Formats: sequence, C-alpha cells, structure tokens
Amino acid sequence: MAESLRVIDFGCSPPLRSQTLWHAIGYGVSAGAPATLSFTRPAAPYVCLGYHSGTDEVDHDYCRANELPVLRRMVGGGPVYLDADQLLFQICVPARAVPAARRQALRMLLEPAVTSFRELAVTAALDDDLEICVGDRKVCGHGAGQIEQAVVVCGNLIERFDHERATRVLALADPAQRDQTLALMRRFVAATPVAPEAFQAAMISAYAAALGLSAAAGELTGTERTAVADLDERFTSGTWLAGADRPAPPDGVGPHVRQVKVRAGVWTLSATCDGAQVAASVVRGVVDQVRLRASGLNGSSHQAERALTGVPLQSVAQVLAGFGEPGRRLAAAFAAAEPGRL
Amino acid sequence: MERSKLVVVAGFPLALDRRYHAETHMWVLLTGPGRVRIGMDPLGIETSGTLAQLSLVPAGTELIAGRPFGQLEAAKFVGPLISPVSGAVLAVNDEVAADAGLAERDPYGAGWLIDASLGAAAGELPGLLADPAEISAWFAAKIADYRFRGVIAQ
Repeated sequence: MAESLRVIDFGCSPPLRSQTLWHAIGYGVSAGAPATLSFTRPAAPYVCLGYHSGTDEVDHDYCRANELPVLRRMVGGGPVYLDADQLLFQICVPARAVPAARRQALRMLLEPAVTSFRELAVTAALDDDLEICVGDRKVCGHGAGQIEQAVVVCGNLIERFDHERATRVLALADPAQRDQTLALMRRFVAATPVAPEAFQAAMISAYAAALGLSAAAGELTGTERTAVADLDERFTSGTWLAGADRPAPPDGVGPHVRQVKVRAGVWTLSATCDGAQVAASVVRGVVDQVRLRASGLNGSSHQAERALTGVPLQSVAQVLAGFGEPGRRLAAAFAAAEPGRL
Repeated sequence: MERSKLVVVAGFPLALDRRYHAETHMWVLLTGPGRVRIGMDPLGIETSGTLAQLSLVPAGTELIAGRPFGQLEAAKFVGPLISPVSGAVLAVNDEVAADAGLAERDPYGAGWLIDASLGAAAGELPGLLADPAEISAWFAAKIADYRFRGVIAQ
C-alpha cells in the first residue's frame, strides 16, 4: 500500500495562523510526519514579507492605517498582499524526497499545481522562470524553502486580485514608479475565477499521483500543535519581523535604487544619481515606460523618454549618451538596477 | 589573500588548494592554525539558480558540522547553507551578504562566506575531500551527473 499524502484543509484562518499553521507542518514533516498538502484562506487581508525581504519594502503607515498586519514567512520571494480572495496551498515533503538541485525540486513540486489548473480547463503552464502562467500573465504566486529536513512550496489560487492594494502596500516614494508598478501588475498578474473546491480536489489528485502517495485527510500532530504556538510567538516578535541581519549600503555613495519585481522578467525601477532621477518599467529586458528628470536636460526629457521606450536595457547608456552630461547621470542611475537579483 | 590557481574541469573552475564537502559543495580553505575560510563552489552555486539573497549568522556564532550557518535564496527558494566543520564564526563576508552575486562572480575569492575557528575535535577535518586527484575526479563526476539529469546546461 502506498504511503500517505496527508491532506489538511484549515479553512479560513486569521492572518497569523494562515502562516504559522503550515510552517508548523514543516517542522512536523521534518520530524517524520507524512508529506502533507494543506490549504487555508486568510480570514482578513494582510501583508507577508519574504524571508529576505527588507521591512522598508512595505508602507507600514498605510498598513497600520488600514489594519493590515505585516508578517514574515520563512520562504522566499518578495512582499505580497494576501486576502480572502486567495486560497493558499502548501506542499511539504521530506527533503530527501526531492532533488538536491533547487530548480529541479521546485519544478517537481510546482508541476502538480499546473496539472490542477489544467484539469479545470485553465491553460496554465510552468514557464522557464518556474512561474505558473497563462500566456504571459502569472496566475499563481509561489515561494519555497527548507524547514529543517522538510521542503515546502507554497502558492495561491487567486480568485480575485486587488491590484491597487497589492501595489499600495509597497513602500514606493516615487509616484511615477507606483503608477508603473500598478500598470504592470494589471498587465501581468491575473486571477483565475474557478471553483476553489474543484481546484482543491484537482490538487489532491495531482500531488498524490506525482508523489506516488495515497491521499488521506489528516490533522496536525501534537508536536505540530506545539510548533504552531511557538511560531505564533516568533512570528509576532519584532526580531523576527525585522528579518535577517543585512549589511547597510554605504551611506551617500552611488545611486539610490528601489526595484519592484512584478513577475519574472517584469519589474520597475526608481533610481537617483547625482540629482538625475529615473522611473522605469522593464519587460523582458526592454524599457517599457520611462520618466526622466535631470537638471540640464533643458526641456528634452520627453525626447529622451521617447528615445528610451522600447530600447533593450543594454543599449540604454548608448541612447542616453546622446543627451550629454545629464544623459550620463541618468545612465548611471539606470545602471544601478540589478534585475538578476529580483 | 593570495589568489588561488584554478583548473577548469568540464567548463567549471576548480581550486585545488582547499578541501571540499562532497554533498553541500562547500569548500574549506585552511588559513592558519585552527582557522579556515568557507565558501561555496561554482557547482553548488550553479545548481541553486541565480542567487538573489544571502544571509549569514553573526561572528561569534557556534558552528556545528551539518547545521546551517546561513540561508541562501535563489529562484524564491530559501535553503540552508550547511557548515562543513564545527567551530565558531570569526568573521562574515559583509560584501557577499550585500551582493550575493559576488559568490557567483568570484566563488573562490571575494565571494567567500565566513572565516571560522575549528573546534577542538576538528582534527584532520574528517568528511572533507582533501586529495587534489580525488577532488578533480569528484568534481568531474558531479558535473557529468548534473548534466545527465539536466540540472545544469550541457
């Protein structure tokens, strides 16, 4: 008889528990509990930082004013807005059950989710960036991590998506970057209005088949319940929310940069260098929209913006070289972008 | 620190002046009596994907072989950096923590991760590959295996 895939549907959970419940499963699976597929739906909206996200990536004043808790998860990715219109799912398996190479492990644990979408006639695919997409629109966020000896991949069925709020919770000082980010969110992040019960059923079948396990409804072990209580405490501590220690960038040296990734290959940039300011959106390595400000441009900023639109990133400096010294400063601001690190 | 000579094995650079942990792809370079520098070899990095973020425990933290001394994020996957030795962290490389790409660009040099003192029981660093011929053979076999399984490009 096949080993079991434990399935736990937590139903609606308060924001904190919508994170700590499945993190506790990570510890449980690490300690010997069976591979587990779990589901939960946030009972109220909140913001969730990735393990390495900076707390300064979120507009805490806005979140406080709108009673949006800010939490931090143990898995990767950036800050995300979560609410009751998203069904969160998590697959957690022993680390020995997946390839050591992360991309292979991710692919193995995301492909059943793609199968589930396709079961519901959604033409989803796992692209080369390991994002679940329909066409060029991401339809499922994901993050992954190792919790002791367990690997967990989490994702979401987005039934409806509040693009405005997902953008508004981000700390974006430059209004032009905020507008560009919202435009890209609308263009590249899509909801999938399928019946969540059908999606759950498809997920259970797909993951059981992919892992060669027999699905069976289950519940948390005593160890996991204890872990939930511990995690509730840890996740609400200031130390945890502050995140991993990160070296401060050198003060006042080089361009100041703020980048936001909307999906793989799609991001926005706001950067200043020697008084020159760039706000740009970039799609697949090409400048999509751009707003430029620099002393000395003498009214040619619109001309420079038009010249840059549609230009590959690697040609930006060459184009801006035609705009003299202000162009060189703008190119330096552009050059501060690090798309590979997003 | 003097730059080490590299050989190229099936397209990947390999430094033969240090020891390696075969499973985690961590290298360990003896830098003085009871002192080592630890980093990740290019195969470990390549199989992780583009490094996005990296965090390290602070200096003074106890190291236990087989336990994490930091976390590495690539492809939205956060996984542990596993220590190949026991001892204590003497220093961390702030530059690589600020720019994880440094570990990709210069894995044997500026992309080092931590300096550590070895615990009293460290002895001859058991469990690490030390013989250059053995290291070369292991590295070549790993590359062939990863390519066969499609983990890295041909």
